[in-house]
Amino acid sequence: MSWDLIFWIICFAIDLGLLASTFYQLVILTDLEADYINPFESSSRINSLVYPEFIVHGVLCALFLLTWHWFLFLITLPMSAYFVMLFLKRKHLVDVTEVFRLLNAEKRLRKLKLAFYLGLLVIIIFRTFTAGKISLQRSEFGELDLRSSFLVF
Amino acid sequence: MGTENPGRPNFAARPVAAPYAVTPTMTPFSSGPVVGTNQPGPRPTPPIIPQSTTPFSSPRPAVGTDASGFRPTPPVAPQSTMSSLSSGPLVSEASGFRPPPPVRFNDPSVPPPPTSNAPPSVGPFSRFPTPPLPSTTQAFPSRAPPIGQPPFQPPVSQGLSPPVPFRPQQQIPPVPMGSPPQHVNYASSNVNAQLPSDPSFPAARPNLQPFLPGYARKQSSADPQVQPLQSPYLANQGGNFPAPPMASSPFVGHQGGYVQSPSVAAPLGLQSMQHPGAAPPTGAIQGLVEDFNSLSIGSIPGSIETGVDFKTLPRPLDGDVEPKSYTEMYPMNCNPRYLRLTTSAIPSSQSLVSRWHLPLGAVVCPLAEAPDGEEVPVINFASTGIIRCRRCRTYVNPYVTFTDAGRKWRCNICSLLNDVPGDYFAHLDATGRRIDLDQRPELTQGSVEFVAPTEYMVRPPMPPLYFFLIDVSISAVRSGMIEVVAKTIKSCLDDLPGFPRTQIGFATFDSTIHFYNMKSSLTQPQMMVVSDLDDVFVPLPDDLLVNLSESRSVVDAFLDSLPTMFQDNINIESAFGPALKASLMLMSQLGGKLLIFQNTLPSLGVGRLKLRGDDLRVYGTDKEHALRLPEDPFYKQMAAEFTKFQIGVNIYAFSDKYTDIASLGTLAKYSGGQVYHYPNFQSATHGEKLRHELARDLTRETAWEAVMRVRCGKGVRFTSYHGNFMLRSTDLLALPAVDCDKAFAMQMSLEETLLTTQTVYFQVALLYTASCGERRIRVHTAAAPVVQDLGEMYRQADTGAVVTLLTRLAIEKTLSHKLEDARNALQLRIIKALKEYRNLYSVQHRLGGRMIYPESLKFLPLYALALYKSTPLRGGYADAALDERCAAGYTMMTLPVKKLLKLLYPCLIRLDEHLLKSPAHDGPKSVEIRLPLAAESLDPRGLYIYDDGFRFILWFGRVLAPDIAMNLLGPECAAELSKVSLTERDNEMSRKLMKILKKMRESDPSYYQLCHLVRQGEQPREGILLLSNLVEDHMGGTNGYVDWILQLHRQVQQNP
Repeated sequence: MSWDLIFWIICFAIDLGLLASTFYQLVILTDLEADYINPFESSSRINSLVYPEFIVHGVLCALFLLTWHWFLFLITLPMSAYFVMLFLKRKHLVDVTEVFRLLNAEKRLRKLKLAFYLGLLVIIIFRTFTAGKISLQRSEFGELDLRSSFLVF
Repeated sequence: MGTENPGRPNFAARPVAAPYAVTPTMTPFSSGPVVGTNQPGPRPTPPIIPQSTTPFSSPRPAVGTDASGFRPTPPVAPQSTMSSLSSGPLVSEASGFRPPPPVRFNDPSVPPPPTSNAPPSVGPFSRFPTPPLPSTTQAFPSRAPPIGQPPFQPPVSQGLSPPVPFRPQQQIPPVPMGSPPQHVNYASSNVNAQLPSDPSFPAARPNLQPFLPGYARKQSSADPQVQPLQSPYLANQGGNFPAPPMASSPFVGHQGGYVQSPSVAAPLGLQSMQHPGAAPPTGAIQGLVEDFNSLSIGSIPGSIETGVDFKTLPRPLDGDVEPKSYTEMYPMNCNPRYLRLTTSAIPSSQSLVSRWHLPLGAVVCPLAEAPDGEEVPVINFASTGIIRCRRCRTYVNPYVTFTDAGRKWRCNICSLLNDVPGDYFAHLDATGRRIDLDQRPELTQGSVEFVAPTEYMVRPPMPPLYFFLIDVSISAVRSGMIEVVAKTIKSCLDDLPGFPRTQIGFATFDSTIHFYNMKSSLTQPQMMVVSDLDDVFVPLPDDLLVNLSESRSVVDAFLDSLPTMFQDNINIESAFGPALKASLMLMSQLGGKLLIFQNTLPSLGVGRLKLRGDDLRVYGTDKEHALRLPEDPFYKQMAAEFTKFQIGVNIYAFSDKYTDIASLGTLAKYSGGQVYHYPNFQSATHGEKLRHELARDLTRETAWEAVMRVRCGKGVRFTSYHGNFMLRSTDLLALPAVDCDKAFAMQMSLEETLLTTQTVYFQVALLYTASCGERRIRVHTAAAPVVQDLGEMYRQADTGAVVTLLTRLAIEKTLSHKLEDARNALQLRIIKALKEYRNLYSVQHRLGGRMIYPESLKFLPLYALALYKSTPLRGGYADAALDERCAAGYTMMTLPVKKLLKLLYPCLIRLDEHLLKSPAHDGPKSVEIRLPLAAESLDPRGLYIYDDGFRFILWFGRVLAPDIAMNLLGPECAAELSKVSLTERDNEMSRKLMKILKKMRESDPSYYQLCHLVRQGEQPREGILLLSNLVEDHMGGTNGYVDWILQLHRQVQQNP
């Protein structure tokens, strides 16, 4: 089993986690808009996810850099920079007092993030495939087709 | 205490924003179809509606056949009386008026119709005797082109709405004449008045056509036919009017009508006051006047020599005037003191909204104080339950209609048919009215209060609760604040609302926090000190908040000893943040009102703040606005927590140094409280002010644990809210404690591209706990017509509401932008609005060098100027201390319309003449003559009072009669006035002055106006106190009124 494949699977898991977190936040905001949840609750839930998300994203970005995946590193870099900027401007947390005024902007931001992570996911899946294929080809079973490479994992 | 989940779980647990029972029940807005025809059952004057809605739209055939047809629907429904007149031609009147003119006017154009009929307008006229016609003629050719050659088929007319047909022509004269300014205009106007006096009459009478003076002449050569026609007429005119018959009767009638109208208009204050010279009152012009107001401004754009007469600029010297027209039209609307729309004509389409550049919205003051006899009736539906629409949750109101013999009612907002509960059933009489209408205030009045049953509570109604958090550090002790506060609280104990249930508690803080056990069994309060600031705890679970009536003696003892207890305190620290947390813990069970008396910049524990705002370099950069925002997110979080637990926070700040009001005020902003700022407080001078304002805060009727929602008809939605509150859901305002001095502004938008209804209804519902322990719902209902005409929107605008919304938007903008940006945005908005309005008319009436604006918004430029110069927005770093700026900003975000307008454009009244008069002439009126706020108004021989609702400034002229100063100030009158205080002295004059001041204070009790004395020439005090507040004057770099108008005018005229 190649390290490469393991790496891509880890990336896949991280990205999936980020995707889920973003989606969850989006759902909370939608609920808030529809008055299914009160602002105190929703902002505390969202805010509890903000730091983990930043950290995980940072880790992902660093992973790409360390493993010399230039392309993906450059793709994730702007988002990391954006997070750092938000943090420095102290706008990273949802402001419970103004949450309704910022609702649309927050939602749009999260939709963009969602799209970004989805795109990233596609790339990662693709790379996972490739890595899986390569590792399989290298293995003794050599001639197995792609489907069987999945069966292995 | 809370029956259910008293603590935080409250909120968390319920997805549906449960804590406020209302929420679940109130589904945002009706989603149902709105029936196009809303029949207000008992509406008295329905006929007007159509008119107003389509004021100008009725397309008029180019050639009206007869007079009556000509103006079936007076374009300007309410405002211009003329409309009514015009519709009914009164021959008699016309003839009556004519006699006078004959002598003077031998020219056709000359006839001065107004003379006899319109006394007020005469004045202006006389100034422009009888301009020779020739000039007019000459003038005409030049501008004639646009008019369209064919005299009678004004091409323009077809394209445009009704007023058009003739207007262009008639107006032409006045307008373009710019250069030989008024005289010429004048003449022409007269001319017009005569002939077509019915501008709107377009082609009404063929023979009249020639009259158009300009036309006639111009074309005479080209068009021989015209001449003949004209001549007869001229003859008549010149000779005199006896010949009315010649002019077909309708025509005459019109003339009469028109002519008269000016006279009518004059009383309205249209012309007489504003543009005596500019807007000739003649008939022709009348058309103009009814539509808009104008100011004549130098004809050459950009020239410095302008025609603006400083004295004639519009000024709100009568204070705020609530718009009457629609309250008359919809008499069942709630009083405008509760709800004011920025325009009482709701636009029917998105495109109209986008052309209305002012804010579209409302200002709501749900608990406004009502004068005696107009209190809001309280209704108890005990057995029936409150009647509400099933779908949109609208409360029953005067605009619902009963059908099906009284068994059903139709909701006016979503037009759903609801069943009438059995207990509420009443038969309908022949006209469809309920027979019990007289006993049902909710069906006849726009404002009612329902007693809410238990479904509207999540916990038993809370008792009124007051918790005082008092700073006792050395500066607080030195300023004497503690003593004043203790005494005031003590004196108010008897008047606290909600008598047997009221709860009270105290805590003090410096570098430690002190709690007081006031258990009723004690004789003296016990003090407990908490010095662990990192992990604050409440030392005693109960007995820190006690029932006032049970522990009265202990509370009294505490308040007596409080000032002396800390007399020798030399602690300079302030553990404000931890004290705040402790108060939250204490109060979270019940909620209530937290009054914070703060004197030292928080320096210990969480929420400590640092000095900022001293760095000049920050100003003018993109970081500037951060100074006006809370520095530490702690304050926003605390504010949210306070609101969550139904705690309203009022901040009293006293420091002589910087205390970061921007951060502290956040607590008040999001909890529905307010900020009182007493910079450099000294009990000797400011004690009285604090005493009154604190007493008012404690004793005014307060609504506890309130939520407010505004519903409105389908297609319209409120989208943003501005004021001191926190939004609990997209349209639900959480107001832990609210009272009569708070107003909330909101902006609306159209959800649909086209409104199909004729009327839009608004319903404000405030669910709250009254001090007596009853849960109540205060409901205000109002209706407003939907219009398709932009002009009508502008005509029905309400300056007060517009200015209030603009103020709040501008202040909010300062929180995220530079001051300059906020000011520019404000200016731009006004320019856009004026430009749009101008475009409405400039095509028809070539307006040349005149500035036009709707009558309803005539004060808007001035208020905008005042706002431009108001404390939160003015200048830069040096023009107002940061704290004062922020405090003023927080205050202005809550002020109701009237108080805000008074603050923006304060009263300036001359007193000396009044004081000298013997009491016999003591008419109440004499003190009410307000003067323009300009240095010109100040006569060195006079004594003036300046009153902005927050303070009085008495200005002593340099050569004021010495006996007045002597009488008022006693022997100290020669001293420097900053050290003199005004007290009642034993003489008639002083007593009289005190009486006046007292009366003025009583008329505006929400704040106490401290009296500052200043003598002319006493710098820099005079400059700071008074001169910088004379908004019509130039002050370092800012415009005076005249320049402001010119600047606006120039920018309005610039093409996009």
